[in-house]
Amino acid sequence: MSATSNGARIAPRRTGVPYLLIVPAILALLLGLGYPLVWQFITAFQEYGLAQQFGKAPDWVGFANFGALVSDGEFWAVLVRSLLFCVVTAFATVLVGVLLALLMNAIGRAARLTLQISLLLAWATPVAAATTIFIWLFDRRRGVVNYLLDLLPGVDMNRYDWLGHPLTFFFVASILIVWMSVPFVAFAVYAGLTQVSEEVLEAAQLDGAGGWQRYRLIIGPMIRPVLSIVLLLQLIWDLRVFAQITLLKDAGSKSGDFDLLGTYIYKLGASANDFGMASAVSIVVLIITLAISWVYVRDLLAQDKETR
Amino acid sequence: MKRKIGAVAAATAALVVLAGCSTTPEAPADDAQGQDITLWLMGGDTPDALRDYLKTEYADATGGTLTIEEQDWGDALAKLTTALPDADNTPDVTEIGNTWSPTFTNVGAFSDISDMYEDLGGDKLLPSFVEVGEVDGANYALPYYFGSRYVFYRKDLYAAAGVDVPTTLPQLTEVASKLHDSALSGFYLGGEDWRNGISWIFAYGGDLATKDGDTWSSTLSDPKSIEGLTALQELYTEASNAPVTESDSTPWVNINTQPDADAPEAATIIAPGWAHWSIGDLAPDPEDDTKTIPTWNDDVFGTYVLPGVDGGVAPVFAGGSNIAISAASKNQAGARELMTIIFSPEYQQMLGENGLGPANEDYVSSLGDDQFANALIESALSSKLTPAAPGWAAVEGSGLLEEFFGKVNGGGDITALAAEYDEKIDALING
Repeated sequence: MSATSNGARIAPRRTGVPYLLIVPAILALLLGLGYPLVWQFITAFQEYGLAQQFGKAPDWVGFANFGALVSDGEFWAVLVRSLLFCVVTAFATVLVGVLLALLMNAIGRAARLTLQISLLLAWATPVAAATTIFIWLFDRRRGVVNYLLDLLPGVDMNRYDWLGHPLTFFFVASILIVWMSVPFVAFAVYAGLTQVSEEVLEAAQLDGAGGWQRYRLIIGPMIRPVLSIVLLLQLIWDLRVFAQITLLKDAGSKSGDFDLLGTYIYKLGASANDFGMASAVSIVVLIITLAISWVYVRDLLAQDKETR
Repeated sequence: MKRKIGAVAAATAALVVLAGCSTTPEAPADDAQGQDITLWLMGGDTPDALRDYLKTEYADATGGTLTIEEQDWGDALAKLTTALPDADNTPDVTEIGNTWSPTFTNVGAFSDISDMYEDLGGDKLLPSFVEVGEVDGANYALPYYFGSRYVFYRKDLYAAAGVDVPTTLPQLTEVASKLHDSALSGFYLGGEDWRNGISWIFAYGGDLATKDGDTWSSTLSDPKSIEGLTALQELYTEASNAPVTESDSTPWVNINTQPDADAPEAATIIAPGWAHWSIGDLAPDPEDDTKTIPTWNDDVFGTYVLPGVDGGVAPVFAGGSNIAISAASKNQAGARELMTIIFSPEYQQMLGENGLGPANEDYVSSLGDDQFANALIESALSSKLTPAAPGWAAVEGSGLLEEFFGKVNGGGDITALAAEYDEKIDALING
């Protein structure tokens, strides 16, 4: 803590202040996430059922819960289904979001404002309300989707039960989630686009770069950091999607064929009272999330090094 | 940053205060005077008039406030599991599905109320419901009300097709198939609707599970269960347009002729007795033009009990609830006071008058003697409960039954499915 270094070279002072400043954030994280995480980690290695919930001492079972998972066909089915759903939905969201952002960048003020307000409204719609609207849209009996499709010559969709078959169920779920998350992506990417300087684009145009080339060689690389964080967030959100699937299942089937990881964990824990197994699956999801995030963090670290 | 630290400090302070609350054990008051308690009721089965009665009587008796919180049946299991062990969040008294009683009673979720048993009705209380709330001879959960399921049908459609009310279960399938076409379900039944579907297993002499010593095992593969499932699959395939994924359905929507339709979509349904309030000729509600009011019409609608395989009455699923005091409740005295009100002659009478089978058999006559009361009583007499196994709530919660019945009715291989799901259910049923 030598306060006097009157030399020309300004070295970063080594004080405790920065550490002190991050203490509140770390404390908040520890309090908010630490306890459930620790509990979940411990429970994953225990046989923890309803009796334990009501006070009986749990037994330690080592990796038995994980062993049971690995040999459980249903778990693998849910895992593969969730990963597929997550990847398809996240990429679709980013694609539509980028296209909308480019549109926003290209159109006049009035049209842009209309588009932005519409997007904000979609973003502001509560999950339960949005899901209910989608359930009604795709309703077997009175849904407008079936009604409109039925008007097409040669198409017979009268009473088609969208939520009754896994494939169409997840199709509806995916559209719903894309619809709800596109505004975030569109705004984030639009903000990125406004940072791309006009001069650079103009120079490129003078050098003879076409629209697609300008996008691929200039805009793309410049907004890449935004794209990668947005895609990462979408992947994480879509992997742990819960509310929409639960509400759609309530309107459709109770069968396990319609479960994703979120609803599967909830069913195992809260409904079937097997908290040990539910915790074990949660740990697996955590590991997958960390693995996805790691790709991004590594990227960040690499960039950090370059700029140093 | 300053603001952030302030917020964190406030949050930490709040946490300390909260933690302080939960660790200070409040001495359980032995006096009900002034105790404010909470009652959880499941779904909307208990009418408002009865709720108001409980609140008024409780306030009169103790000066405290009774808060009634309605829980959705679908989320109830999860909520009970998390709230009951927690003294700060538990309801003091809770209604609980009769089939879940063994599970929660066995883990010690409820207070022992054996000392009140005689005063609350004793031997007069519905025995099968008392039994599922009992451990080693001590009473924890008592019956709240019973319900039962019977058949509603369209007299006009039966007459037009020239069919009579069936008197055996195979005849029912025959009649329903005859009435059936792509616009009209002869017998509207959801594919995953296991609560109705199990009647077919019971009717053919099968069962969901049996107990050997202390061990329960699922018996879907029993030849008699298979026979029942085969009959159910035949009925569903030949006479129901309901989606295979439909479970907790509202089939009265289908048997009523909707305002914008020319004909109903179902000629026959099976539903809990109280559904009759929702069945009838629909007229616009003068107070709310988005709603309609049904008026029962004897010329159009009729009832019968689900017939047995060789005539008589098929055993249907005994609907209904138990009620119990949470062991974690800090207001045991107030909760006991509420139990006394619920088991009072006045309240038992009110249950019956509202079409809910009263727990105390002395008041069954309050159900009346119209066709609904008769069908309710007749079907309830031979109704059956799901297995009183410790893990039964987990079996229900896991959705395995919906899955199994959905696959059977979807046209699956019954023998293979039964073996598969016997194994899955066995893993959960013993708790």
